[in-house]
Amino acid sequence: MSIATDTAARGAPWWLKRHETLLAIILILALIGLGAFNNRFLTVDNLLNQGRLMTEIGLIALPMTFIIITGGIDLSVGATVGLSAVMLGYSWKTFGFPMPLAIVFALFIGGLAGFVNGFVITRIKVPPLIMTIATLALYRGLAEGVSQAHSVRGYPEWFYVLGQGDIFGVPTQLLILIVLIVIAGVALDRTTFGRALYAIGSNETAARFSALNVDRTKLIIYTLSGLASGLAAVVLVSRVTTTRMDMGMGYELDVIAAVVLGGTSIFGGSGTIWGTVIGLVMIQLLKNGLALTGVKGDATIVVIGVALILSVLIASSLQRRRE
Amino acid sequence: MITKYLMTTAAAAFALSVWGAGANAASKWDGGDDLPTSPLECGTGAAAATAPVKYDGGQPTNPPNNAGKEITIVDVPKLIGIGYFNATSKGIQDAAKELGNVKAKTDGPTEAKIDEQIKFIDNYITSGVDGILFAANDPVAIAPVLKKALSKGIHVVGYDANSTPDAREWFVNQAQFNGIGKAMIDSMAKESGEDASFAIVTSTFTTPNQARWIAEMQAYAAKCHPKLQWLETVEAQEDNNLSFNQATTLINKYGDKLKGLFGMTSVATPASAEAVSKAGLCGKVAIVGLATPNAMKPYVHNDCVKSVVLWNPIDLGYAATYVLRAAVDGKLKPGDASVEGGKLGKLNVINGSEVLLGPPFIFTKDNIDKFDF
Repeated sequence: MSIATDTAARGAPWWLKRHETLLAIILILALIGLGAFNNRFLTVDNLLNQGRLMTEIGLIALPMTFIIITGGIDLSVGATVGLSAVMLGYSWKTFGFPMPLAIVFALFIGGLAGFVNGFVITRIKVPPLIMTIATLALYRGLAEGVSQAHSVRGYPEWFYVLGQGDIFGVPTQLLILIVLIVIAGVALDRTTFGRALYAIGSNETAARFSALNVDRTKLIIYTLSGLASGLAAVVLVSRVTTTRMDMGMGYELDVIAAVVLGGTSIFGGSGTIWGTVIGLVMIQLLKNGLALTGVKGDATIVVIGVALILSVLIASSLQRRRE
Repeated sequence: MITKYLMTTAAAAFALSVWGAGANAASKWDGGDDLPTSPLECGTGAAAATAPVKYDGGQPTNPPNNAGKEITIVDVPKLIGIGYFNATSKGIQDAAKELGNVKAKTDGPTEAKIDEQIKFIDNYITSGVDGILFAANDPVAIAPVLKKALSKGIHVVGYDANSTPDAREWFVNQAQFNGIGKAMIDSMAKESGEDASFAIVTSTFTTPNQARWIAEMQAYAAKCHPKLQWLETVEAQEDNNLSFNQATTLINKYGDKLKGLFGMTSVATPASAEAVSKAGLCGKVAIVGLATPNAMKPYVHNDCVKSVVLWNPIDLGYAATYVLRAAVDGKLKPGDASVEGGKLGKLNVINGSEVLLGPPFIFTKDNIDKFDF
């Protein structure tokens, strides 16, 4: 890496100037600051609870990081959550599927939704932004049409373990998220699949000429995105004990915010899972910490917006110094 | 090649939606819920007295004894920044000031989203308030977080939109659903004629209050005004622009056939009135709806709208605060038949664990200027 030699020449270790490191330092400072203001913030109870609340966004943020690294985007994730949630409830209640099969079916629908995105994007060369805006409307419309806007309630008790229970004191869904973070992180960092993503994002034409199967790789990541949205839907339904067709509305923005705040370039070619995780945790804990300190909801949104802008400024100034 | 793929995708999507729509075709998509209805007597008949129901609310676990002491409460409405919840919030502040030993604040999501609302309540449980007032975006989805509050000894009282009963101690019912249904349908029949066709602009089909009212309206219309004809119910979130567009679409779609429009939310009603005004159909298309008076004053004064049905949301917030205080002080216990409601006098307990605010109120040209919210 040329960055390492550049910065070594200036006397600071390379890792200190990485976006993720800076973010992590800001995060720790913010935690200490908010913790000093409010003695209920830095408690194990609260932090674990926040982990529970951020899991749905976190699950989708992992494949979204892959997609944005390739220079793509998936705006249909929120609608896919809605569609999968409806399919979970619908297949269980109306088709009479047993609950485990209904869960598999919801995941399948999520994966299928993502596959359709990937298929049209790679085969018909529709830009991801346009394709996923279209499916955002399509999937949400299907969710409303299929459910006829009726909610589904009364799931079996054991199903709530996923969204409300805990294992050794840690929320169930947070454990799932942690496992998937590790898998996604290793896949991106240590495998040819991960390197192919960076190659596609840096220069897609070059990647094609290097005999990388660009289309197949893209198809996989969009399908993963749909699958993760399906999983998020199952977790969300379990957490709030009910299926509604408006579930997941607006998730796409929260997910993209976490990924971009984590230092992944929206133009593709760079980014890490670790950065995304820090971005995710930062947004969630900022919201929570500010709320506990007595800042009202509308003001909190402003703070998140400012944090995003600052992060982009830091990232781009770092970029300039490297060049 | 490209067209072939597009056709396949379109066909698949179409097939999927037809399959979805077909599977549910049996139930009429009118925006009402599936719960049983209890329409009131036709005409001016008084509501029949119902047998008392056993208390079915939930109780906080080992609440601290705060009787008479100062308490901090938070109000988490469906969303903030709209006239209606500004008014309930004002009522809460009025009551807090009058009581002198309540510190109240209102905070909540800027859009009526249940998962946002859950996060707000969750954060306030962690920050350690003594009481929570809420207006639920979803009656079942909000239940786990409210039960969590009860389990931490926090008093929980709902108003405006209920949760499942065992997730809160009391619910202040602004008006019984059948009362609203009757007032709406009677006003419509009076203004547009007994055999008129009408459409409804609502928030979403899953919003509990609106779904209940529509079901009750349907039941009351079938019983007392059987010739009224239901055309369509459309969703418009609680969005000003969308409501206007939906109302305009209805006007264009049904033309002369459309004789009346119901607005089911404080956003949909003025937007529908505006759509009718813009179309130059004042007097031809009657508008009856739930709305706050300030938003409706221009339309009531130019005779476009004759009746606005509502309760007083300031009183609603006020009553909710009194009920919460009474629950903290031990003055309102399971099984009680009434509670002291400050300037509102004695409020009756109905349906086990609900406190009734009173009959609905109809704003007309003669009285609307007396209200400012």
